[in-house]
Amino acid sequence: MKQILLLEDLPEIRAWLKTLALQVFPGAQISESARIHDALELVNAVRFDVAMIDLGLPDGSGVEVVQALREKQPDVQSVVVTIHDDDDHLFPALQAGAFGYLLKEQPREQLAEQLHRISQGEPPLSPSIARRVIQYFTAQARLKPVQEPDTVTPHVQLTDRENEVLLRVAKGFTLPEIGVQLNLSRHTIADYVKQIYRKLNVSSRAEAALEAQRLGLFRR
Amino acid sequence: MNLTHLWRSVFGRLFPRDQAPAEPPLLADGSAEAPADAPAQPLAPGLLRLWIVLGLTLALLVALALVAINQEASRLSQPGARQVLGGALQSLPQAWAVRDGGAHYPVGVPGSLVTLPDEWSRSQPGHKGSVWYRFHFDLASVPRAGEVLGALIDRACSSVEVHLNGVLLFRSGRMSDPFARQCFSTHVVPLTSTLLRERDNMLDVRVAGYPIAQVSSRQRAGGLSSVQVGPLAEVQEAAEIQTFWTLTLSQILGGVLIVMGVFALGLAWVRKLNYLLYFGLLTIGWAVMTGRFWRGDLPVPNDAMEVFIAIMMAPMTAFAVKFLLGYAGTGLRHGSQRVWLERINLVLWAQCLLLPLSLLLLGNAGVFLGARIWFLLFTLELFMAIGYFLWLAARARRVEFWMMSAALGVVAAVLGIELSYQNGLLQSGGLHITHFVMPLLYAAVGVRLIQVYVRALQSAEGARLHLERRVQEISVEIERNFNQIAELRVEQIAERERKRIAGDLHDDLGAKLLTIVHTSDNDRISSLAREALEEMRLSVRGLTGRPMVLSDSLADWRSEVVSRLGQAGIECEWHNPHDVIEEPLSSRTYVQTTRIVREAVSNIIKHSGASHVVITAGVDLENHVFTLAIKDNGKGIPMELDGRLDRGHGMTSMKHRAKQLSGQCLVESGPGFGTVIRLTLPLEIAAMQQVLPGRPAS
Repeated sequence: MKQILLLEDLPEIRAWLKTLALQVFPGAQISESARIHDALELVNAVRFDVAMIDLGLPDGSGVEVVQALREKQPDVQSVVVTIHDDDDHLFPALQAGAFGYLLKEQPREQLAEQLHRISQGEPPLSPSIARRVIQYFTAQARLKPVQEPDTVTPHVQLTDRENEVLLRVAKGFTLPEIGVQLNLSRHTIADYVKQIYRKLNVSSRAEAALEAQRLGLFRR
Repeated sequence: MNLTHLWRSVFGRLFPRDQAPAEPPLLADGSAEAPADAPAQPLAPGLLRLWIVLGLTLALLVALALVAINQEASRLSQPGARQVLGGALQSLPQAWAVRDGGAHYPVGVPGSLVTLPDEWSRSQPGHKGSVWYRFHFDLASVPRAGEVLGALIDRACSSVEVHLNGVLLFRSGRMSDPFARQCFSTHVVPLTSTLLRERDNMLDVRVAGYPIAQVSSRQRAGGLSSVQVGPLAEVQEAAEIQTFWTLTLSQILGGVLIVMGVFALGLAWVRKLNYLLYFGLLTIGWAVMTGRFWRGDLPVPNDAMEVFIAIMMAPMTAFAVKFLLGYAGTGLRHGSQRVWLERINLVLWAQCLLLPLSLLLLGNAGVFLGARIWFLLFTLELFMAIGYFLWLAARARRVEFWMMSAALGVVAAVLGIELSYQNGLLQSGGLHITHFVMPLLYAAVGVRLIQVYVRALQSAEGARLHLERRVQEISVEIERNFNQIAELRVEQIAERERKRIAGDLHDDLGAKLLTIVHTSDNDRISSLAREALEEMRLSVRGLTGRPMVLSDSLADWRSEVVSRLGQAGIECEWHNPHDVIEEPLSSRTYVQTTRIVREAVSNIIKHSGASHVVITAGVDLENHVFTLAIKDNGKGIPMELDGRLDRGHGMTSMKHRAKQLSGQCLVESGPGFGTVIRLTLPLEIAAMQQVLPGRPAS
């Protein structure tokens, strides 16, 4: 039985998402919360499998919960469910460790399918997100020589294949198309995307830790 | 030509580095205002020695030349020579000389036969007072053509009286102590015809003067140079010439020097340059001393006059030395130099006091001696100062070095000639070339100083203009920067506002629309709300979005279109232009085009029944437009359906949107042909482009 965390402040939407979740994961146990505070408590209490997290909450951004989940329960598939489709909002969530994203206003069928896909390990990747990721890793690569030798910073770099996938997505090719172009199966492509997200998260966390260390705010 | 070439090559050797002025020194690029700012690189020691040697050689040559010229000039201007030249005047070379103070020639007193020119320092040493000279001449020996005769008396020091056959004809000035000082005058005495006899005319010339010991300069020691008789016209002519050369010219030169001195003083005041001050004083002092303005009829006792004249030497030397030191730029830098300067000052001004004191101490009879000793001392000091200047100038490779070497030669010659003359080593009865050379020297130095000053003025002017221009440039730049910053600020504030509006829209409007989407039973309402939400998102994007790059926009559209068509089961071919298209697209254009493309795709999915869609994107850089052609193989748009499509804001809205963006949207359609939508939109050449950083070069 799947444990699902649902974080959404608008009650109608929350109800709707609940039905959606039950449609995709029949028989799942759904823990609802409307505030970050509650959600964090739940994170500490329950082991989840899937999390559906809204970004725009009255007491902060859902990114916090994503981070908490990533730290405490790294195996959770956290999905960001949001109105915003622009990369300014989505990218930080992905950096924090989100597994995928859903756009709220889409029709139920589509959402269900996307959620299903995510749960199957095929997160979505849009051209603008891909561009941001490329930007990020390019900047990281440039900064690399400046890293101090005594910090334990995992050397995060995308493989050539991953880069290729990323570039093609940035050019506007859909994932199935890329599979055809590179002669790879959908699963392989999806794996690459997952890796990309994971590395993004790892790199972002390392960067944040480094920054915190530099500022002397490292918390144990 | 060759000479210039040779000169330049010599110069090139002497100025080994790039700063070689390729012109003769007097016209070359001078140093800056304060001559202390010499060109930066000092000479190597070996080269320095070469320079010094060359400089001294030049000085020596100039000095020798000057001496030779002087000798020649004085030889040519000897009174005795005149008769060789003109043949019109009879010179009376011999006379009986008797020391007597009486009013007439003392007959019966034994005298001595002297030959002119007669210097009392030899013939009447120590005599102060009058000496009578009696000349005999016959009328027959004097060439005349029935004209009036006249006598020419040259250099009778100090004053003279002329009797002809016992009758007083002429007196030049006071014959009693203090004698009229007319050593430099040439006297013309017309000889009254009635007094003349055929034979044995007696011309008595009484000269009153001082012994050499009591004067400060040999030129004012008693003596008589020459007496000539001839036709009055000739005599007057000769006298005029002589006067011109000895008096008038000196006065002219003196006047010029005074003017120059005043000018230098003025400059010194304006520019606060010490050395100019001393130069001015020097030239004025020299002019006063040697301008022969004094006609000498002042009833001042001789001692006072002589001492006064002698005293002038001390300050003149002081001025000259200080001018040289200042011009060389001493004392402006090192502390030790300052100390030396103080000492030198002390010595110079002390001399000014010591000189009159010493002369007073030496008393009446020691004036000449004292003057000579001091003169020697001053000469040495001057030589030292000039030598020091030369050394400094050579070390700093200044242009004045050569001029000063020549000047050194001139001064050496002048002083040397003067010294030897004063000490009796040189016979000189005629012109002193030195009188004319010194003013020339001053003139040369003066011109040089003016040149330096003008140059400095020009460079200052140039620097000022340059500075002005720079200031202007900088202020323009500052203004531009300020404008840019102001624009950026405006941009920032606008951006923040837009973000705020976007946030509000999302939170309020978006949330409500979303609720409608998911809680409405009516599908139509849900889809309308959904479309509204998408529209809102697009609008917000149009407000807050950064300008896009065409390639990114095409990627976004491609992704959406392909996936939508794919979901609807329609094949899609997408062709991008071949070139890398980094052209900018404003966010408004991006948003509107997105709407148009979505509309078109929706139409294809809903109405066209097509199975295959080809989309071609292109860029025309020359006209700054991009094109998008969407071709489907559906059943086309029937004409009567045009009206129905309007209700869904179909074609007309697409055309409208395109027109709003200053572009156009053309639709070609027909049964069996499918539909082609051609979109042409302008590329933005936005003012503040922000292309996303870190773009992959894809």
